[in-house]
Amino acid sequence: MTLEEAQGYVLLATLATPLVTAAILVLIPSQYRMAHRYLSLAAGAVMLGLSVYVFAAYQVGHDPIQMTLRWPWVENVAFLGEKGVSLYLGVDGISALLTLLNGIVAFGGILVSWKIDYRPKDFFILYLVLLTGVYGTFFSLDLFFFFFFYELAVVPLYLLIGVWGSTRKEYGALKLTLYLVAGSVLIWIGIFAVVREAGLGTFSLPALWEAGQSGALSPAFQKTFFPFFAVGCGVLAGLWPFHTWSPDGHMSAPTAVSMVHAGVLMKLGAFGIIRLGIQILPEGAEFWMPTLLVLGTIGAVYGAVGALTQRDFKLISGYSSVSHMGYVLMGLGTLNAVAMTGAVLQMFSHGVMTALVFLLIGAIYDQAHTRDMKDFGGVAKVMPLWVIGYVIAGLANVGLPGLSGFTAEFHIFVGTFRSYPVFGALGVLAAAFAAAYMLRLFSIVFFGPLNPRWASLRDARPVEVISGGLLILSILAMGLYWAPFVDRVSETVLVLPGVTN
Amino acid sequence: MVPLENYVALSGILFALGVYAVLARRNAILVLMGIELMLNAVSLNFAAFASYLDPDRVTGAVFAVFVITVAAAEVGLALAIVIRLFRLRATSNVDEAAELKW
Amino acid sequence: MGAEHAWLLAAIPAGAFVVLALFGRYLARGGDWLGIAAIATSFALFFPVLADFLSEGDGLGPFTAAVEWTRIGDFSFPMGIFVDPITIVMLAVITTVAFMVNIFSVGYMKGEPRYWWFFAVLQLFAASMILLVLADNLLLLYIAWELVGLCSFLLIGFYWEKRSAVEAAKKAFVTTRIGDVGLLIGIILLWREAGTFNIQEILRLAEEGHFGHTYLLVAMLFIFIGAMGKSAQVPFHVWLPDAMEGPTPVSALIHAATMVVAGVYLVNRMLPAFEVVDETLLVITVVGLVTAILTGFMAFAQTDIKKVLAYSTVGQLGFMFVAAGAGAPEASMFHLMTHAFFKALLFLAAGSVIIGTHHHQDMNELGGLWKRMPITGTTFLIGSLALAGVPPLAGFWSKDEILVVLDKQWGPWAVSLLGFAAILTAFYTTRLFIRTFLGQPRDPHIAEHTTETPPVMTGPLLFLALLSVVSGLVVFHEVGTALGFPGGFGEFVFLPSHGPHGYEFDAAFAGASVVLALLGIFTSGWLYWGGRLDRSTRLAEWQPRLYDMLVNKFYFDELYQAAIDYGILGFSYVVSWFDRYVVNDTGVDGSAQVTGYAGFILKHLQSGRLPHYAMSLALGVVVLAVAGLVMRG
Repeated sequence: MTLEEAQGYVLLATLATPLVTAAILVLIPSQYRMAHRYLSLAAGAVMLGLSVYVFAAYQVGHDPIQMTLRWPWVENVAFLGEKGVSLYLGVDGISALLTLLNGIVAFGGILVSWKIDYRPKDFFILYLVLLTGVYGTFFSLDLFFFFFFYELAVVPLYLLIGVWGSTRKEYGALKLTLYLVAGSVLIWIGIFAVVREAGLGTFSLPALWEAGQSGALSPAFQKTFFPFFAVGCGVLAGLWPFHTWSPDGHMSAPTAVSMVHAGVLMKLGAFGIIRLGIQILPEGAEFWMPTLLVLGTIGAVYGAVGALTQRDFKLISGYSSVSHMGYVLMGLGTLNAVAMTGAVLQMFSHGVMTALVFLLIGAIYDQAHTRDMKDFGGVAKVMPLWVIGYVIAGLANVGLPGLSGFTAEFHIFVGTFRSYPVFGALGVLAAAFAAAYMLRLFSIVFFGPLNPRWASLRDARPVEVISGGLLILSILAMGLYWAPFVDRVSETVLVLPGVTN
Repeated sequence: MVPLENYVALSGILFALGVYAVLARRNAILVLMGIELMLNAVSLNFAAFASYLDPDRVTGAVFAVFVITVAAAEVGLALAIVIRLFRLRATSNVDEAAELKW
Repeated sequence: MGAEHAWLLAAIPAGAFVVLALFGRYLARGGDWLGIAAIATSFALFFPVLADFLSEGDGLGPFTAAVEWTRIGDFSFPMGIFVDPITIVMLAVITTVAFMVNIFSVGYMKGEPRYWWFFAVLQLFAASMILLVLADNLLLLYIAWELVGLCSFLLIGFYWEKRSAVEAAKKAFVTTRIGDVGLLIGIILLWREAGTFNIQEILRLAEEGHFGHTYLLVAMLFIFIGAMGKSAQVPFHVWLPDAMEGPTPVSALIHAATMVVAGVYLVNRMLPAFEVVDETLLVITVVGLVTAILTGFMAFAQTDIKKVLAYSTVGQLGFMFVAAGAGAPEASMFHLMTHAFFKALLFLAAGSVIIGTHHHQDMNELGGLWKRMPITGTTFLIGSLALAGVPPLAGFWSKDEILVVLDKQWGPWAVSLLGFAAILTAFYTTRLFIRTFLGQPRDPHIAEHTTETPPVMTGPLLFLALLSVVSGLVVFHEVGTALGFPGGFGEFVFLPSHGPHGYEFDAAFAGASVVLALLGIFTSGWLYWGGRLDRSTRLAEWQPRLYDMLVNKFYFDELYQAAIDYGILGFSYVVSWFDRYVVNDTGVDGSAQVTGYAGFILKHLQSGRLPHYAMSLALGVVVLAVAGLVMRG
């Protein structure tokens, strides 16, 4: 067995870990609560380890797609020809980075879910299935499985939010699910159109990319069907004006789900735009990308401005997510190598930073049972560690150099200015608004005289310190030494079709 | 040999009678009988056209046999429902059984 | 230890920051010794760097050293350092003042909560500031630029239990951030055409006419906006006086001597490019002049010692910009250096007053401290005279230089305006000194308990007072060469296109300069001498409107507050409303409601009556049949 093959099995193991663990949890009776928790945590640790391995072992300077593994499933039946549908796994630089993100956030999420008392068994089963879906989407090089895992990630969300959420949870869960399913319908239509038009009788993504780039898919077809992928995936990425599930969904979701949802799932949308939109339909992408850029810029400014006057912690983060995902779409919309690298970096950066924010919000909400900023004041006195974590996340959000947000946003701005100076300038301006809403939150909640009502709040607990520390470490790593991140991503971005240097 | 037109005409009359029964009668038994009439009309059509178009093969007759079989099963089921309805409501008037609505 | 190792100057405090931030609270004395050791090492290492720099070639450098950080296709981003005379001057200022302030802080911050955190952030600041001046490319400069802003934010908000301190920190960060937006846009615009972030490359390309004129003009104006934000020039000046909420050593280090001069440094660093589009020079000069004069007036009506000094700092930064706008980095950097010494001295002396009087800093409560605090009083007097521009103290020489170059570049109108600003400076400085140290104590109770501060605080005062006296002399060729420099200040720091600029004593200018200073001093003395206020009170009553204007600082804060409340927050409310009611409730929930309502209407078709269904079935067949016939034709 060569190294490449062995690494393919690593991907399979990464994918199988949460799924197998979920299956085992099903078999353990629900009264063994600690068993469920420890087993899930073990799975989380394994996933983290494997994800770090996938990221670290990804070789810069080789073929962009590495660690492949292909198991045929359905072949030579009806319209399906050779390699019809297969479990085809592999990573490129982009998905390697996102795999790392998922590993970090998933581990942190399991850790902070330790305290869940209501039906922990069901929670962990659904949570692990959700993670399987996320990993599967990142690894799939087969369109069928890509979509399968994509859906697998979306469906458990409904239950997780609807059952374990808070604040209008049924509304939030229903809205989010309907939204995402509507997006999936568009993607599904697009997938069938592409497979049929290509006429290769295969769902293999590399084959379809080849078809899209070699002209087997006519420009008119590409232009027609690109919006199906862009909007379908864009819904999940918080594309303006299809973003309103984000504030409500985040507000309702339980902590761990918010973390994975804002941290990783939203990136799944942007990832889908790259995988399906840009790679299969490059000419369609070229035609529609300016539109995406405009929508992304609107989202970036709109989210930042909208966050300025919110009072609920989670709504601020919800709007700030819209703003930051706006940057991602803006970066993708330029089809410029630097900005697209920045966009992918931003996916990671926003992922760890938002996960950290939601983790901390969860920590205070569990005690205070309110998220209204005006109720607080001076909590730095009683919760110093918590405040330090929040300040780091907030400053990363603002784009302070030395933290991951700057690295990502800077690349996006630089790339965007190349072709669209005005939009680049608007993006920079939105970053200034980010400073305003973040510092407003800092000054109202953390500082000033301590409101005696909160004198008994306790600081972050060990589980929160560990998972938060891991996230902070990631933020600092990307902020201070971004070469390992940029190298992996840029190499893949440069070979994407239609990307200018 | 009886010309095809005769079969078609008979089948048409039977079908029309069946439709009338289904639409106009209120008694569930009579509605069922109307359905049977319509099915028979269809079966007759199948058989007639089959022997007219391709006398060597019995495709049409096979279809008729299928229809009869299905009709028998359907009548069995439907009569059971009618009996339950009668037990429940002491009537076989279909207008009385209007529970399945919004 | 050559100049190429200058990055160590930043790395050492940075390492100290990491240690202090993580373990400072567990160390003995909060780790202040570690902080001081780190900054002392940087201070000490500066001298070998300087010696190496001067020993190479003509002693004008520059040194560069760079490594490639990342690469994306053709887009390469190296990180490197660049050392030239401007950098050397900045390094001297930063390491000296930071060292003094660290020592002073041991006394000033004694017994404060989070003592260790204070020293940790001071180290981070020193590291970032040194990095800022060493950076060979604009991106690294921007990174350091933001980091010093962060340190400023953290230190202004050091007493975060106080609402006012928190608000001041927020204001400082957001205001400078607006400037930073301009800076970042400017940097990226320059990169867009030049394809590099390297400052020297960009300057070379600008001089060769690589950029279009309008393009470069726009880019340089954006850069200048960044400089204005950081250096608190009108209309961005509002944050600096509020920043006095921070501990006084911080005010001395960050908000007087180093961070706020980053804008001046940037303009001087990029001056060759500004010169190519010389319209910008006029903008820079005018902004500097307006700032110098307006803040001079604003300082009139302040009664808080630190606020007067803050306005004075803004005004002096205006002087530096004026000099840069006159195309004279030598004058600008010279004033930057002397100002750093005497203003740090004044702030530290003010800090000494605050400690000596047990936290009183309002002039209305002070007075007559001269006898109680002789060392503080003397050093404060030296600083004040230097600020007022009395020869032979440092401030005189640098101000004189500025007037000379201003006359050369823009002529009498600019000189007279700046001269007026110089009178204002001398006036409020004298007022500050008289009302704090002379006359009768206004609150005898406070004066009674006032004592001189310990040597750990007076030591740095004396050292800085010495520098405030002698540092102006380096303008002379003889002094420069004696110290090992290629010549006087103007022969060390100069614009390559202008060539070195030896000091020429111009009796008319020097005389005028002295007269201006004395004019301000005597007017002020006439109004306030002996601690009396009746004359100034009468002045205020004579023109109450004017007085209100001054007390309220020309209503800038009120104006901005209104702009924020009605403009930006209003916009935000509109966006939130739009998002909630239009996008969400109408667009999203609306479509759900339409679906629901359609179901509500259509459900009536479901009558539950069998004959109805049968009838619709039959009708359907008929309709289909007819349709089929019609379609057939």
